[in-house]
Amino acid sequence: MTVAPYRVHKLIQELMRDPARAAAFAEDPEPAFEVFGLAEAEKALLRDGSPAALHKLGVHANLQMKYARLRLRPAGTAVPGGGPLAAYLDRLLED
Amino acid sequence: MGRIVGGFATSHVLFPPTGVEDKATRVIDGMLEMRARIRALSPDVIVLAASDHLNNFSLAMQVTLAVGVADEFTTLGDSGAPAVTFQGMRDFAEGFVRFAGGREFDLVQVEEARPDHGMAIPRLVIDPKNEFRIVPVYINCNMPVPPSPSRCYRLGGALKDYVESERPAGERAVVVGAGGLSHWLCLPEQGKVAADFDEAFIDKMISGRAEELARLTTHEIELASGNGGLEATAWLFVAGALPAARGDKLYYEPIPEWISGMGGVSLSPAAA
Repeated sequence: MTVAPYRVHKLIQELMRDPARAAAFAEDPEPAFEVFGLAEAEKALLRDGSPAALHKLGVHANLQMKYARLRLRPAGTAVPGGGPLAAYLDRLLED
Repeated sequence: MGRIVGGFATSHVLFPPTGVEDKATRVIDGMLEMRARIRALSPDVIVLAASDHLNNFSLAMQVTLAVGVADEFTTLGDSGAPAVTFQGMRDFAEGFVRFAGGREFDLVQVEEARPDHGMAIPRLVIDPKNEFRIVPVYINCNMPVPPSPSRCYRLGGALKDYVESERPAGERAVVVGAGGLSHWLCLPEQGKVAADFDEAFIDKMISGRAEELARLTTHEIELASGNGGLEATAWLFVAGALPAARGDKLYYEPIPEWISGMGGVSLSPAAA
């Protein structure tokens, strides 16, 4: 199985820890691609961003999910509908 | 000597019930049964084993087996689980790391971590009142070279020996493993559930045959149950802490809509 070069994983890991850089990335990813020294083929697959493209590039599964969030919305934005546990919280929190 | 008075294992995700309402209800019922059984055991400490999802340990420094030794931890707040501060148990955790060092396990001590949904969701299930002291143990199958099933099982055995030889008389420990069962995350097979493998895994866990599962290789488990299925190594940690234990299936539901086989078991220690 293909494993993405560390520079690809480093980009995702560093952006997810820096809300300001993540927000800038959501607006325009190209400067970050340059900073992390990505090859043209790697940039193309990350611009595509589909599960198939990220799988082809060999992005770690957990980082694929973080990358999708980086692209979809600025960091810190709430998930619509209250999150995946919303339907259960009453039962889980009751004593 | 202390005693491990019970072992439990459970999936550690939940997704919206839309379209799978009955299955979701049975999953929650099973999780709440686990809560009731743990409470009935009146534990002094709960050892909670699960993976990290590259939220605390990244590919920059790849941690595979680690123990949270801090006095308290605050969960990350991801995947819908509220951020909650809970009490650790430093003397238990540091003592376990030292003891395991004599058993060929060089464990990483973690002072700072924000346990993600892998621990936060099971913590919410088992301790909604935040009344227990919980020692996080990272069985970090998400690293590129994960700890082997055999090693996770043997680490559970080291925990048992530690509790029985080093801990105060009367101390009651419960071990909980969280993750799995089969799922293929961000792979072309995503949505596939290996129900036969999951059911067989559960059956061996509760019939005193978990050691057979610990003989599987990482590759064999991954091939049969997906990259996410490797989270069952946390179940093997529990099984190692309660060798030859028998128990009950609390729930199992194959839920392709949640891209997971969802399961949970309860184990009682075998008679000495």
